[in-house]
Amino acid sequence: MEGVCVTAGDRSILSGFDMSVARGEKVLIKGRSGIGKTTLFRLMLGFRVPSSGILYFEGRPMDAGLAWDIRKRVAHISQDSDIGEGVVRDMLEEIFSYNANKGHFDPEKLRSLLVELSLQEDVLDKKFENLSGGEKQRIAIIISLLTKKDIFLLDEITSDLDAKLKRKVVDMFVGNPSWTVMAISHDSEWERDGVRVIDLEKLQEDAGVCD
Amino acid sequence: MSATDITLTGIVFCFLLLMIPVLISYHLNLKLIGSTLEAAFRMTVQLAFVGFFLTFVFELNNSMLNIVWVLFMVIVASYTVLKNSQLKYSSFIIPLVTAFAVTNVGMLLYFNSFVIGLDDLFEARYFIPIAGMVIGNSLRANIVGINDFCDQIQRNENRYLSSLSLGAEKYEALKPYLRKSLINSIRPTLANMATVGIVFLPGMMTGQIIGGSSPLTAIEYQIAIMIAIYVATVMNIMLCVLILMYRVFDEYGIFRKDLLKGT
Repeated sequence: MEGVCVTAGDRSILSGFDMSVARGEKVLIKGRSGIGKTTLFRLMLGFRVPSSGILYFEGRPMDAGLAWDIRKRVAHISQDSDIGEGVVRDMLEEIFSYNANKGHFDPEKLRSLLVELSLQEDVLDKKFENLSGGEKQRIAIIISLLTKKDIFLLDEITSDLDAKLKRKVVDMFVGNPSWTVMAISHDSEWERDGVRVIDLEKLQEDAGVCD
Repeated sequence: MSATDITLTGIVFCFLLLMIPVLISYHLNLKLIGSTLEAAFRMTVQLAFVGFFLTFVFELNNSMLNIVWVLFMVIVASYTVLKNSQLKYSSFIIPLVTAFAVTNVGMLLYFNSFVIGLDDLFEARYFIPIAGMVIGNSLRANIVGINDFCDQIQRNENRYLSSLSLGAEKYEALKPYLRKSLINSIRPTLANMATVGIVFLPGMMTGQIIGGSSPLTAIEYQIAIMIAIYVATVMNIMLCVLILMYRVFDEYGIFRKDLLKGT
């Protein structure tokens, strides 16, 4: 990301922002609410176009075609848990019917992930919208793991989990050396050895300016 | 046998009936007196105009003129759909007119040639009233379907984006909303079809019976027209929502709020 600026109306969200993440790196992004953490992810997924500056992915500058590729290569869990409705099992079926995910569904792995994240199997027959915040987060985590990606954008995925689960989830994502992980979180659980911390507040202070 | 003409006295008695909704509106303060009178007035003027115009068109029975009149209906229908939607006229009127024309006129030609078996496909007596019925129903379904689709997309923006970030193509991510809009817009037509004859006698059938046709002929026509209406409606709304899916999103797959009115 080079010299990225984002403005909403006359308010500047990111200005002259530079950042790069290498393959296999684990990065924690922190900073007070509203500073633009989620906006960073939205930029990377092409949900938002910077007012100036360029993003690169594997050396290619961002354009619409690349955005569609990135969405297929990257697993993103949004902070907003409104990712679907209806019975969880049907949601999974829909997601794995997408061309990009076809054949990736592994019932064995699903079962083991449910156990690992302390969910009963009958959660699959419940309606997603009736689940608790923590359950929704865990379902979203499971979906992202089942899609067999190796780049993860995780937006506040541990906020509603108890201490034990927080540790487990962070272990999962940080423990795999081939995964590239960028996590937005206020949880100190993510601040570990081997995790690079990017403090947006500090970065913004010595960032460039936008035209 | 032909229908009895309604006399001027009869018309006056009919308009007197409007006093009832006006009184109700006055007592309950519904503020509908103005709209009631305006609607009644507009209807009268429009129908009077159409009455004279159609007499002229039927007597002339010129294919070109009939086609132009049906195209005019198509344009008014498309305009009405947009008027009742949040979408900008300038960006959608042409695709919508095209969708209306292709599906409804296509159905009309099929209907006149294979179902009724007319020699002159554009014979005013068939072409224009049947066009009115088919287009009128498509219009209603499109108002429901297009509004529903736009509402859903805006209400579920996060969910839609998360489908995209889960690797969905635009079409895959929009399929649930396409499905819902189609169901919502088609359901009234289906319900109509399922209860016709028992709950209500459709206008065309009533018209034919009053006009002197045997109820059996009226029923033949009614069955045929109900199917034509249903199929044209499904094709029309499907095409319109597909056009929306194609046009209302930018190349990144993001909903283009700039295509909404008031932006």
